[in-house]
Amino acid sequence: MIIDVNAHLGHYPFRRLRHRTAGELIELMDANGIDRAVVSSLHAVFYRDVHRGNEELYEETKAFGPRFIPVATVNPKYVGWKRDLDEAVDRWGMKAATLVPAHHGYALDDELGREALGRIAELGLPVVLTQRFEDRRQRHHWDVAEDLEVKTLLRIAAEHPSLKFLLNNWAGLDGGALAGAGMKGRCLIDFARLHVMYLKDVSKLIATLGVESIAFGSHMPFDYVGPSLVKLANLESLPKPDLEKIAWRNAAEFLGIEV
Amino acid sequence: MAEPDRLNRRNVLKAGGLLVGAGGLKRVATAAAGPKTATSGGGGLPDGWRALRKFDAHNHVFDSVQEPDADWSLVEALVEAARAMGIEKLCCSKPITGGKMAGIDDVRYANDSVLAAMRRYPDLIAGYCFIQPGNGPQALDEIERCLDAGMIGVKLYNQFKYSDPAVFPVAERCVERRIPLLGHSGHLTDARSLAAQPEISDSLVFCDLSRRYPELMLILGHVNGGGDWEWAIKGLRDCPNVFVDTSGSVLEDDAIGMCVRELGHERVLFATDLTIEGGVGKILSADLSPDQREAIFWRNLQGILDRRTS
Repeated sequence: MIIDVNAHLGHYPFRRLRHRTAGELIELMDANGIDRAVVSSLHAVFYRDVHRGNEELYEETKAFGPRFIPVATVNPKYVGWKRDLDEAVDRWGMKAATLVPAHHGYALDDELGREALGRIAELGLPVVLTQRFEDRRQRHHWDVAEDLEVKTLLRIAAEHPSLKFLLNNWAGLDGGALAGAGMKGRCLIDFARLHVMYLKDVSKLIATLGVESIAFGSHMPFDYVGPSLVKLANLESLPKPDLEKIAWRNAAEFLGIEV
Repeated sequence: MAEPDRLNRRNVLKAGGLLVGAGGLKRVATAAAGPKTATSGGGGLPDGWRALRKFDAHNHVFDSVQEPDADWSLVEALVEAARAMGIEKLCCSKPITGGKMAGIDDVRYANDSVLAAMRRYPDLIAGYCFIQPGNGPQALDEIERCLDAGMIGVKLYNQFKYSDPAVFPVAERCVERRIPLLGHSGHLTDARSLAAQPEISDSLVFCDLSRRYPELMLILGHVNGGGDWEWAIKGLRDCPNVFVDTSGSVLEDDAIGMCVRELGHERVLFATDLTIEGGVGKILSADLSPDQREAIFWRNLQGILDRRTS
């Protein structure tokens, strides 16, 4: 069993993605032995009204039942966002909310960001923070989003002590610093940009945050899935219960989904 | 291991409810059924993937391991990872980075680090001789010193664009000694990144050098090392003598496929540039026939090395 916590649906404006629809993503998942995927809408990142992207995501994924775990995108600058978030959670059953402050023009630690994070925490949802979609060295002229910064993450973690964080596509995380910000037990980190061997990022994070802090993530369909399958294979020396936690159990428990 | 040609058979097999994936033939799951072959060990990887022969055309030894009290831990971690991944050869260099022009003494010191690693792991680590072309005749002497000590090629970083005449004697020596020239590359579209590397060469610069020296075994380094890789690949279409290595921290889908479609698999060299799991994983994920994959993993580089006279 594998649950991939780092996946997206839709078009990306700056590069053609081969697997854009729910059906195409299912094919990709099946070819790679991935049972379920935590997905957010790329359209929601770029639409003025992000909630239309949430609606598309719900409509497109519902036919595939539990294979997809959709995530609501929130833009606290847009009118009615709280009611939209309620609809995504209460009516459509979304299990987490994601913020893309660099794309929507605010900061996680400004007034808007604090309000959004506070509301997500009140609802008992994890917030999904993707450090970046693409490497900035190849950015399109219109792609002005900067990577999310670790120092900002540490600050907001301290400010929102009950909030749970799903951290996708991050590099440069220091387990000690995360623990110091009170994140042990309330963060789940995908290993799409981490090393299992060589730099041993994953074992260092496990040493400080526990095996419950790591999850399988591939950043599909931006990235090939093979790298994350190789990393999972390189963790096979772990006790089987720990390997299962990383492969799927941590994701299921963190997001409160039945398996 | 035999594997069907995924690229050609995919559409045909889809019609029959089958999909050719990285792990071979699998029945396509519909709706909520889920994959039939999922395993916690990575169900999409080909059987026996670790045992597939692999030569890494672009890697590094960055620590000064020639010193008596050297810290070998990162080199050891690299070796451990390579062996676990079935990489039989690591072609390493130690370029001087950070915008430094680098005098000949610093260059020699850097190359001595690689030579020390080659001595400790003679069956695994091969060396590229890092050269700063501005060192003139001393740079050429350093190439000879490195080759005499067993290195297999030359590595250039970003001190000069490869269209600069300072690079030409280095290229000529590589042609004369029939050794590969691996060049740091990037088409950087981000202003800050470009400002940090104003003399970096993109694929069109590689093409210019290749046209000037058609016999040169020129390798465009880390096509996924940052920068617009689609631009880089398209820029090489009319330059048949330039190889690309697949390394870099960017693991984006279809990069390997595009290299093969646009350049032909014979020009594509597997490499990791320290992104070891990602580097192996993206080749395993790419739409390649077993023969193409084998060529990329090791045979193409072996062909280059076989051309050497030194």
